[in-house]
Amino acid sequence: MRSILVLLRKDFTNFFRNKAALSLTFIVPFALIYLFGQIFGVNRKDSGPTGIPFAVVNASTNPAAARLVDALRAEKSFHVITERVQPDKTRRPLTEADLRALMQEADPDFRFALVIPADVVREDEFDLHLRVLSNPRNEIETQTVNGILQKAIFSNVPELLGQSLQAQARKVLGQPRAQEFNRRISGTIADTFGGDPAAIQRDIEAGDLTLRRLDTEPEAAPPAPGDAPAPAKANPDFFSRMVRIDTEQVVGANVKSPGATRIVGGWAMQFLLFALSASATSLFRERDFGIFQRLLAAPVTRAQILWSKFLYGICIGLLQLIVLFFAGSVLFGIEVLPHLPLLMVVCVFAAATCTAFGMLLAAVAPNAEAASGLATFLILLMSALGGAWFPVSIMPQFIQQLSKLTLVYWSMEGFSSVLWAGHGLVQLLPILGILGGITAGVMAIAVWRFNKGRLFE
Amino acid sequence: MLSLQAVTKRYGSLTALDGVSLDIARGEFFGLLGPNGAGKSTLMSLVAGLRAPDAGTLTLDGQPLSAASAQARLGLGLVPQHVALYPELSADQNLRIFGSLYGLRGTVLRERIDAALTAVQLNDRRREPVKNYSGGMQRRLNLVAALLHRPKLLLCDEPTVGVDPQSRNAIFEYLESLNREGLTIIYSTHYMEEATRLCSRIGIIDHGRLHALGTLDELLLQLPFEDEITFPETAATAPLLPLLAGSGTLATSEQTHRFRPATGYRLSDFFAHTEKLGLPPRLFTSQRPTLEALFLHLTGRTLRE
Repeated sequence: MRSILVLLRKDFTNFFRNKAALSLTFIVPFALIYLFGQIFGVNRKDSGPTGIPFAVVNASTNPAAARLVDALRAEKSFHVITERVQPDKTRRPLTEADLRALMQEADPDFRFALVIPADVVREDEFDLHLRVLSNPRNEIETQTVNGILQKAIFSNVPELLGQSLQAQARKVLGQPRAQEFNRRISGTIADTFGGDPAAIQRDIEAGDLTLRRLDTEPEAAPPAPGDAPAPAKANPDFFSRMVRIDTEQVVGANVKSPGATRIVGGWAMQFLLFALSASATSLFRERDFGIFQRLLAAPVTRAQILWSKFLYGICIGLLQLIVLFFAGSVLFGIEVLPHLPLLMVVCVFAAATCTAFGMLLAAVAPNAEAASGLATFLILLMSALGGAWFPVSIMPQFIQQLSKLTLVYWSMEGFSSVLWAGHGLVQLLPILGILGGITAGVMAIAVWRFNKGRLFE
Repeated sequence: MLSLQAVTKRYGSLTALDGVSLDIARGEFFGLLGPNGAGKSTLMSLVAGLRAPDAGTLTLDGQPLSAASAQARLGLGLVPQHVALYPELSADQNLRIFGSLYGLRGTVLRERIDAALTAVQLNDRRREPVKNYSGGMQRRLNLVAALLHRPKLLLCDEPTVGVDPQSRNAIFEYLESLNREGLTIIYSTHYMEEATRLCSRIGIIDHGRLHALGTLDELLLQLPFEDEITFPETAATAPLLPLLAGSGTLATSEQTHRFRPATGYRLSDFFAHTEKLGLPPRLFTSQRPTLEALFLHLTGRTLRE
């Protein structure tokens, strides 16, 4: 044991004298976690994207179309562009031809555009006639833009849909019968809810379908018999209220910074893997220096050398993870202190698994260069698969299954279990068991390879 | 003190040591001379317990030496061929680590480190990282790192590779003083000058076999000639050649004749011929044969091949 402690102290002395290793272990991950935290906006109170350039060409004289443009302007996710600056610095409204040309030129401000044609509501078609032009960079961006656009239409200008329905009614029933239908509906609404039948009919024929009148505040008192109904208070987000979704976060509702917890855990794991792989590949350096010859000529065994490396990896890993989580606490408000004991337990297991991984690399690679190349490939692969970069849930089913084979996934599950779900030791045991199992399995293979290989000769 | 009996070591199909038997007495400065790949480092690693032999036995003071015998290895010190030190750490820190591994601690460790650094004149730079040292300084530190625990037997595996002449000389003097104090040393080298200067007994090894063993004088006696006379290849010396026929071996290269008299040949006969031919004595150089010549004689190749 004494030899192991001497070797352990040697590794720590070496580490703390090596400024590059210190910086790569603590400062670089700290800086990158801060940077990525900012990129993913983990500190923002509001969520979702902001300021996506979105060009709009409105060729319609329909008042609802103008309201749609206003609604899009009010949408924080979009930066709406409706004009083009000409060479003489004057501005003129954008045209569809402008949009197509600018997209062809790959102008970064013109990657998504909405064209509202003059015939936004057609007599011969049931649906609205809108065109979205795009020069997308990725599928996520396209789906985000489409979702925000649909929400803006349904929330702000539902009458466009009503107008479309009215046009279809006129086409199918003919103008006189459609008008009679509207008149009767308006009469029924007025008899039931009150109001002026003629005004209601005008609203229906304008596409409003009395929706604004139905969409009153729930607490409005019903009118007394014989009294005129109180004027309805319109709520523009009627569709949102028609389909009412009550959201309740069962787990982690009180977590201050959920995004940061994931970001810091994932990136810390990635840097831990890099740091510990470098430490394990230092075995090659010690071999090449002839240090193993000196150590093994002393009363030191191979097992003691490997144990000292393993313990050193766990210590450094624990230190790095705790420092980075405290950095996350300072930068992003992750609640570390209330969970510190269990977090340290997870960190020890995560560090042990990463160290075993590094030892396996050193055991199977023929030299430091090969180990380093293999480490980079495997670490990036495991980080991506394990969810350090993106949530596993957005990955294809097959990849989600694969991710469970990575130590990054289970380490992050451990961090989430403690910091997000606030689990206790008993609930944590399955994850610790898996991490411990991975460590034991990987170390067994590594030791077997070390014994078969010639690292110590 | 150290005894090797029919020791064999193989790496796959390569036999690195082939039935080597050797006894080294306490206080000896034993040289293991051979070219690269001869088996010197393998023999050192077996003695140091880094590897186990495939056949044969090794004992130190009657105790078997093996990778598992930690107690026996306490009596050994190994100076590896490479500078086996942590370059980021200072001399002080390196020695503290290696001394601690041998169980030294506290005042004893500190005093031994002080003494070691003083002996190799590194005391004033003891706190600098080793990577800042010159090659010679690193080699000196590499040497004393193996001596902190005061071993009975010191194994030096080509400890002066890449060292400047001044540092090499300092290392030689230090080793000689240690040997005078009673330390037994096994010194492997492919420099015959080192073996000639340092070693009281020399083993010549090649292709894993010990070809010759003895003191320098004993080894040189194994040569079929005692002296070598060289003279220039000129028209004046040409008549001498037929007169030497049958008296020894004559080789010519680079416009120089080398005459190695057969055993029993009298040099006075040689100089009678030269006097008769009127050749001045300054044309002739006589020198004692070297280990290089012995190695060539025993193995058919030079030490540098």
